[in-house]
Amino acid sequence: MNRRGFLKNAAVVGAGLTLSGTCGLVFRALEASERVDLAVAQGGVPSQVTRAAIDVMGGMKRFVARGDVVVVKPNIGWDRTPEYAATTNPEVVGTIVRLCYEAGAKKVKVFDRTVSDARRCYRQSGIADAAGAAGAEVSHIDDRKFRDVRMNGLVLKSWPLYVDVLEADKVINVPIAKEHGLSRLTLGMKNWMGVMGGWRSRIHQSIDESLVDVAKAVKPTLTVLDAVRILTANGPTGGSLSDVKQLNLVAVGTDQVAMDSFGATLFGFKGSDLGYVRLGAKAGLGVMDLAKLKIKKIQV
Amino acid sequence: MIKNLRRASQAVFLLLFLFLFIQTESKGYDDLGYPVRLFLDFDPLIFLTTLLASHTVPVAFYLSVILIVLTIFMGRVFCGWVCPLGTLNNMTGTLRKARPIGDRRRLYRWKYYILLFILAAALFRLHLTGVLDPLSLLIRSLSVSIYPLINYAVRSFFDTIFFWNPSVMVQGSEFLYDLLKRSVLAFEQPFFVQSAFVGLLFLIVLGLNLIERRFWCKFLCPLGALLGVLSRYALLRRSLSEGCDACGACETLCQGGAIHDGDRWNLSECLYCMNCDDLCPRNAVSFGFSAKGAPAALDLGRRNVVIAFASGLVTVPLLRTTALSKPGYVNPRLIRPPGALEEREFLRACIKCGECMKVCITNGLQPILFEAGLEGIWSPVLIPRIGYCEYRCTLCGQVCPTGAIARLPLEEKQKVKIGLAMIDEGRCLPYAHATPCIVCQEACPTSPKAIWLEEAQVRNREGRVVRVKRPRVDLELCIGCGICETLCPVIGQPAIYVTNVGESRSKTNQLLLPGAAT
Repeated sequence: MNRRGFLKNAAVVGAGLTLSGTCGLVFRALEASERVDLAVAQGGVPSQVTRAAIDVMGGMKRFVARGDVVVVKPNIGWDRTPEYAATTNPEVVGTIVRLCYEAGAKKVKVFDRTVSDARRCYRQSGIADAAGAAGAEVSHIDDRKFRDVRMNGLVLKSWPLYVDVLEADKVINVPIAKEHGLSRLTLGMKNWMGVMGGWRSRIHQSIDESLVDVAKAVKPTLTVLDAVRILTANGPTGGSLSDVKQLNLVAVGTDQVAMDSFGATLFGFKGSDLGYVRLGAKAGLGVMDLAKLKIKKIQV
Repeated sequence: MIKNLRRASQAVFLLLFLFLFIQTESKGYDDLGYPVRLFLDFDPLIFLTTLLASHTVPVAFYLSVILIVLTIFMGRVFCGWVCPLGTLNNMTGTLRKARPIGDRRRLYRWKYYILLFILAAALFRLHLTGVLDPLSLLIRSLSVSIYPLINYAVRSFFDTIFFWNPSVMVQGSEFLYDLLKRSVLAFEQPFFVQSAFVGLLFLIVLGLNLIERRFWCKFLCPLGALLGVLSRYALLRRSLSEGCDACGACETLCQGGAIHDGDRWNLSECLYCMNCDDLCPRNAVSFGFSAKGAPAALDLGRRNVVIAFASGLVTVPLLRTTALSKPGYVNPRLIRPPGALEEREFLRACIKCGECMKVCITNGLQPILFEAGLEGIWSPVLIPRIGYCEYRCTLCGQVCPTGAIARLPLEEKQKVKIGLAMIDEGRCLPYAHATPCIVCQEACPTSPKAIWLEEAQVRNREGRVVRVKRPRVDLELCIGCGICETLCPVIGQPAIYVTNVGESRSKTNQLLLPGAAT
C-alpha cells in the first residue's frame, strides 16, 4: 500500500469512527515504524478484515509456531444468531483458526463455557460450524477439566480455570464488543469468564478486580476483538437488531488492557471509563493510554 | 421359523424405539429432526381417551387408525411383534422357568377392568391413561429414571478411570467415553425429582415377569385389553390339525396365556408369538386367515364390569374435589411449560409420557407428585432452580403427543408468560447487603430486558456510601422463563424467583390490570 492510498483509507476509517479523537491516533499510527502495538482493520468481509488486521501485526507466524497447540477462545455465551451480535462473529473465528493452521499449528481448540444451553449456543452462533469447517477441534466444556489456579490477586486467591487453556502453547482471545449492565462493556478481559469454573457469577460482586485477576492468570498471546457488529444496548444478551451497530471492524493486539481500552472507544467511551481497564493498567497488566501505543489502522 | 421372524421384528422395533428415545434430545437446532413420539402416535388407547377426555384429536391420530385396522384383521400382533414394553417383558420373562399358566389364566380379565375404569373416567374427562398405558409408562420410566441411571453408571465408571489413572488407560477410556457420548449418552447427566419412585414402579412391572411371564401383558396392560377387544373378530387364526392330541406342550410357552385345557385357544389373548406353531411335537398347529369359528369369548362377568365402570366414574369426583379445584387457590410453583393449555384442559390432555421432560434442554421440566392433585401425577412442571426455560427453544411443544403443550412457533412462544419473577429484597445482595450483583439482569433474555437496573446509594456498616445497581422486574416484559432464578448466586432459597401468577394460559391467575401501565 502506498502512502497516498493509506492516507485515503485512514481518512475513511477516521470518518467511520464516532469519536473524533481517534483521528489523531490514525495519523500517529501512520508515522509509526514497522512494529505495531495494535492493528485495526475495517472493511467489508469479516474474513478479509481479520486477515488484514493480523497481517498488520506481522502475520500469525509471529505468534504461532510450528507444532503449537492453540486455544482460540470466542464468546459463545448466548443462544443467538450472529446478526444479533451477542456472540463472536463465526467468520472471524473461522479465519483465525485457518491462520493458526497456516502458521503451522498442530491443533486448534475452540470452546467456551456458555451461559445459555451450550448445544444451542455453539450451533446458533454459527461458531461450531465455522470453526469446525476450518479444522478446529470444537468441544463442549468438560466439567472434570477445571484446575484450581493460585492467583493471589486483587480479590481472587484462586479459582478453577479450564485445563486446556492452561496447557495450551498459545491462547488467542476472540471476544466480541458488547454493552454490559455492570462492567459497562464486555470486551477481552471479561471474555475470560468463559474459562472459569465454579459459581463464576459470584465475581460480579467485585467484577473489575476479579477480571484483572483472571486476565493475569490466563495471559493470552493475542487478542482479536470482533467489532464486525457491536451490541450497543441490552447487553450482553441483546435480542434486537436495533441495538446492533455494524462496524465491520476487527482489532488485534497483544496487550489485554490496551485492547479493551481501544474497544471502549468504539462505544464512545475512554478506556479509563472502565474499571477493569484502570485496574489492569495499575496492576501492570498493560497500557491504558492509547496515545502511548503504536496503533495502525487500515481499510480493507 | 416364524418365531425367529417375530424375534427379529421385536428387536427391530425395540431398537427403533430406543433410537427415537435417544434422539429426543436437542442437537442445538430449532427442530429435533426425528419423529420421536412415533410410537405414541400409533397408540389407539391414547387416541381414544384423549378424544374422550380432552375433546381434541391428537395431532397424528391417523397413525393409530392403522393399528386399529391392523388389529381388527390380524389380532394382537402389535403386542407380540412390536410393543417395546412387551419385548422387554418377554426378555425379562426368560429369567423364569417356563410353566403352564394354569388357573392364573383367569386373571386376564383384570386388564379389561382396568380399561373399563380408564374409559369410564375419560368419558367424564378425567384422563388416567398415561399412568398405565404401556408406551407412556415406558417412555416416562426411561426418561425420568432408567436412562438417567444408565448415564450415571457409565459416567461414574469413566470418571473413576479418568481421575484414578491419568495415563495410557485414560486415553483409551476417554476415546470410548467420547464415542458413547456421541451416540447413546445424554449431553448432560439428567436428574429428576422422582427418579427412584418412577424407576421402582417400572422395575416392579419388569419384576412381575418372575411371577408369571409377561405378567403385565397378560393381566394388566390396558392397551393390550383394547387391542384384545378389537381383535375379537380377527381373521388371523390358529387351527389345529387332527394330529393334535391336546398334549399341552404349547400351553407352557404361550406368551399370551391364550392356550388352556390342552387345545383350547383364546383369540383375543393371543400375541401371535408363534411359539406353539414352532414347538408342536406333532406339527399340528398352523396359523392362517379364516373367517370360520366364533368370535373370541370375552367372559368378564356382568357384576365385575359394572364395578370397574362405576369405580372409574366415582374416581372423577374423588380426584376433582381436591382443594386445588377451588378457584383462586393456586399452587404458585406449578409453573407449566410454555404452550401448556389452561390447567384443567392441560390435565385432560396430558398423558404423563415424560417426552417433554426428556427433551427439556435445561432439565428444568420435572414430574410432579400431588402438586396438581392426584390427577396431575407425573405431569411436567418447571423447577427453575433445576433449570430454566430456554428463550429460543420450542422442543417440549414439538414432542407432546396430545397437544397438552401446544406446538408454538418461536415468535409466539417467546411471548408466552409461564409466570413472573419477583425479587426477595431480604436476600438480594444489592438490596440487603450493599453488594454489587447483576446476574439476573445480565441473563434476562427478553429485549428490552424485563429486569432493569436502578442505581442506588446505600450505606454499609462503616457508614460509607456504596453505589449499587438494584435489579427491578418489569412485569409487562417478564415471561417467567426463570433463568434469573436458576443463576441467582444466592444458592438454596434464591433472591429472585418465579411463580405462575400472570401465566398467559390462565384467565384468573393474573396480577396486572389489563391496559394499565406499570
